[in-house]
Amino acid sequence: MRSLIDRLRGVERDIVQAPDAGTGPYYEPQGTEIAVFEAAWRRRLPVMLKGPTGCGKTRFLEHMAHRLGRPLVSVSCHEDLTSADLVGRFLLDGESTVWQDGPLTRAVKAGAICYLDEIVEARTDSTVIIHPLTDHRRRLPLEKRGLEIEAHEDFLLVISYNPGYQTVLKDLKPSTKQRFVAIEFRYPSAEVEARILQNEVEGLDPALAARLVAIARQARVLKDHGLDEASSTRSLVYAGSLIAAGLPPVEAGEAALVNPLTDDVELAMALREIVKAHLLAA
Amino acid sequence: MTQDPGVRLALVVNELKELSFVAHRDLGAALPSLEPHGAETTARWAETGRDLFLQDRDGGKAFLRASPGLARDVGAVDVWTEQARGFLTFRGSWKALTAYLAGLPEAVRVLGLEDARRWGETGLAWARRHPEAGAIFFQTPVADLAAGRGFAGVREILDPLADLAARYGLPEGLALPGAIKVRALLGPQALGPWLRRGADILKAGRLRGEAFFRLEGPDSDEALTAVLPGFRTAEHERFLALVTRAALGLAPALAPRGLAVGVRPFIETDGRTLFVPSAFPTREQALAALLHHAGHLRFGTYGQEAIDRLFIEAGMAHPPLDADQRVTWRPLFALFGEDLLRFQVLFDLCEDFRVDARVQALMPNHVPRLLDLAAARPKGPAGAYFDLGRLGLQMLAGQVAPAGPWAALLAPDADLVTSWVQARALYREGALPPLDLADRDAAYLPGRSPNHERPVYPRPAVRDAPPEPEAGAGSDAPEPVAATPAPVSAGHDPDMEIPPEDTSGSGGRVGVGRPQPAAATARYRRTLVAGEGTPYPEWDYREKTYRRDWARVTERDLTERDSACAQELLARHAPVLRRLRRALQAAEKPRRPVPQRRQSEGEELDLDAAVDYVVDRRTGARPAPRVYRRRRFLRRDTGVLLLADLSTSIMQQAADGTGRVVDRLKAALLLFALSLEEVGDAYAIAGFASKYRDAVSYYPIKDFGRRFTSETEAILGGLSGRLATRMGAAIRHACVRFGEAGTARRLLLILSDGRPADYDDGGDERYLHEDTRMAVKEAADQGIHAFCITLDASGAAYLERIFGRGHFLVVDRLDDLPRRLPQIYLKLRRGG
Repeated sequence: MRSLIDRLRGVERDIVQAPDAGTGPYYEPQGTEIAVFEAAWRRRLPVMLKGPTGCGKTRFLEHMAHRLGRPLVSVSCHEDLTSADLVGRFLLDGESTVWQDGPLTRAVKAGAICYLDEIVEARTDSTVIIHPLTDHRRRLPLEKRGLEIEAHEDFLLVISYNPGYQTVLKDLKPSTKQRFVAIEFRYPSAEVEARILQNEVEGLDPALAARLVAIARQARVLKDHGLDEASSTRSLVYAGSLIAAGLPPVEAGEAALVNPLTDDVELAMALREIVKAHLLAA
Repeated sequence: MTQDPGVRLALVVNELKELSFVAHRDLGAALPSLEPHGAETTARWAETGRDLFLQDRDGGKAFLRASPGLARDVGAVDVWTEQARGFLTFRGSWKALTAYLAGLPEAVRVLGLEDARRWGETGLAWARRHPEAGAIFFQTPVADLAAGRGFAGVREILDPLADLAARYGLPEGLALPGAIKVRALLGPQALGPWLRRGADILKAGRLRGEAFFRLEGPDSDEALTAVLPGFRTAEHERFLALVTRAALGLAPALAPRGLAVGVRPFIETDGRTLFVPSAFPTREQALAALLHHAGHLRFGTYGQEAIDRLFIEAGMAHPPLDADQRVTWRPLFALFGEDLLRFQVLFDLCEDFRVDARVQALMPNHVPRLLDLAAARPKGPAGAYFDLGRLGLQMLAGQVAPAGPWAALLAPDADLVTSWVQARALYREGALPPLDLADRDAAYLPGRSPNHERPVYPRPAVRDAPPEPEAGAGSDAPEPVAATPAPVSAGHDPDMEIPPEDTSGSGGRVGVGRPQPAAATARYRRTLVAGEGTPYPEWDYREKTYRRDWARVTERDLTERDSACAQELLARHAPVLRRLRRALQAAEKPRRPVPQRRQSEGEELDLDAAVDYVVDRRTGARPAPRVYRRRRFLRRDTGVLLLADLSTSIMQQAADGTGRVVDRLKAALLLFALSLEEVGDAYAIAGFASKYRDAVSYYPIKDFGRRFTSETEAILGGLSGRLATRMGAAIRHACVRFGEAGTARRLLLILSDGRPADYDDGGDERYLHEDTRMAVKEAADQGIHAFCITLDASGAAYLERIFGRGHFLVVDRLDDLPRRLPQIYLKLRRGG
């Protein structure tokens, strides 16, 4: 009933939420990432997730938060994100002012996992404020209030980072990078990816899942031959969902695997050819 | 003048008797054949002969001698006599007249008398404009002109020619023979564009134009390719390469196989490059053929190891190699003597089946596509082979259960030798009819070709694993590049053509994109002259220390200018430029005002600042009232300096054989400059070259402060390669020049085609690599991001060490460079 109401209208939820009961978000391990993360967690070492778009970084973290039973606070960083947006600010309240904690402060206090997605995008001042949080001090200074918050013992900072030649001008400083334990994500292997697809898209024919994966694997070869971002697992899930929703496979493939990836006419033609090769007979 | 024909004839006979013995004799000999046509006609004929003789002895004699034959074969003496009189109206007509008389019987036979007369009139008109053109016209076989469509066929060619002659003054005689061939090859609709192109080229240069109309030279190939019917490979090369790369994980170099229309569009290979026809009938056939042949490369038809075993199986110890270390197949097929074609086709059938099965596993529509294409069964003996091929495809498509030899070929360990063994078994069965060369081509299914037409470079070990995108560099292993003959240095050594600098000395491996055995050693021509150039330190990795003031950089101006070349390049890349501009206007132009926060004045309140202000006031502080927000157009804060490697190697022929590397480089720089003009970022362009540590030249082409002018354009157009690549010193100097930019973010783009090297590095590659790495590091310390774009396909091997991961890019297709350079910059910039 509750979920039905949630579906009928958007629901306000506090950003710090204890994980739901149940099995938690589905995640298919690709390697040792779970072990590494758990070890880092035990020692409360900050973690950096590296990897291309849509390969499962966010999903992995949701899964881990659930597994460890910690709330997860996610912040998507953008170029206008200031340190105040993370730490908090004073607000007016009638005749007086009140301090409102930002998401990072909330997480630090609540002992949540704080996930700063695409941290490179944020302004440099916001990357600097996480420094004292990431070493042995584990403190968050609140300059405006003239105090420091000692992090809850369960607090963990996680950032994501998508290396690529696009980010040359905007790389993380080595001094920042060094403060993290890094887990490298790649696109999953064919079997794993097919399994993910079948799990994510209910009722997807296994043969079709295998075909979609084959498309993605061939399309990924074109990365750096004009394609900046290869077809992600996420876009495969989209393609599968469109097919499950009744769209003819080739059209679904085009909508999810070709058109969003490139505006380059020849490249799109080549991708379309690959999509057709695998899905026309499906 | 007497009216009686007999008298007139007698007069002519007498006149000629006095004038010329030969003419008189010829007239006398011809008269009996003419007289049956009537006295009046004969008199008129004789007068014409005399008049022609008087105008031009050769013309007259030719007329008189040809007449008996014409009177006999054509009749209609009046008609051709009158027409021959037309040749009296201009001088030097004998050649045209002779050709006319010789061509007339055929014209009448092909076109009929009435149209033959129109043919004659047209030729006469040509001859009046230019006697030589008239001769060419009449010498052209009428059957070729008509192409079986009578006078309509003649007009197909003549009308566009006349049109062009009138509009552009195109000499018709020059274009006619080519035009006939072009129509035969490409159909009448191709004539117009071809002729117009020719007229343009002729205007640009007489010799080029003439070569064009002789269907020779690059201009002609290009123009013909552009009007070729069907799916033109040159236009879709990138598409085809992308599909093969995606499907099979390898993208072999494609090279044109030359223009051939009307024959089967076969692909040939030398084991490295695929030689593709200029056009395929359809897109599907092109895709099928390309995937199939890339499949041969991918699945071991030309693998070293398989070839070795094949020759052992065939009873030969070693594959015979030619001078170029290529395997020649002739001895292999010679084993089958007269009947070798039958075996060759069977061998190809088996091997094609094996390869298509493998390709099918990666591209599930490959076999269905081949089946669709194999619709038209050829007649004659080829049909049986065609059927066998189709049967194989049906097995692969699962319509027929595989059996016998085909099942063996489907085994996972089947290879080239399996195909040989199975083909030999089929051959011995002898169920298929013998073939001759004419039938052979038809025996191949569309998309397939004879596999052993050229000697091949055996391919190194075959990777049997499917392409693993995760493998990273592994799957991008560069294809061995087609054998490009090393540029012959005699007479065209760019090093020798640069006058103002001392350019003596042998190049050794210096200045070439690919490493070659080191020949140069550290020898210094002169001692360092104090004060010449700017001194820079250089890092010596062996000593782990800087050598002080080791390299000297001198700024020099480039003296060559070539605005014509620049214009031509811009014209050639106009579509790309147009696309770039459109994209820039749509996305890159900073028309979006960006809010500036915490201003002391502005049009709206900055809420955060206002709250802070109020809070501060409450706490008793006296903050400055910076509580406004203002919208301003974003100030550009990115500056880029493009540093181009101008070493000798850029003068090499491009690997694909068309043009030189430097031409793409020029085009890339031009497009880069124009794109940046559009974007409005601060930018500079400079080149560098070096010869010894004390003579590093830095050529500023456009400075930050300057505008892009036609002068800049001409400098870019006149770029040429010289000397070697001392990259570290150039980078250090470029960093100094960055001082002018005054931008917050600084990007140093280095465009190179090879590794850092100089004449005096003693063959120690690592020395300048390490120095360059240090220079990049120094730049980073100054807040300058260095990024390298290289044309060297093996660049990934050393650039990661020098520039760091993600700070370089290998552009493996030279043709892509002009298009990609601006895009790469914009992408880098957007990242910030």
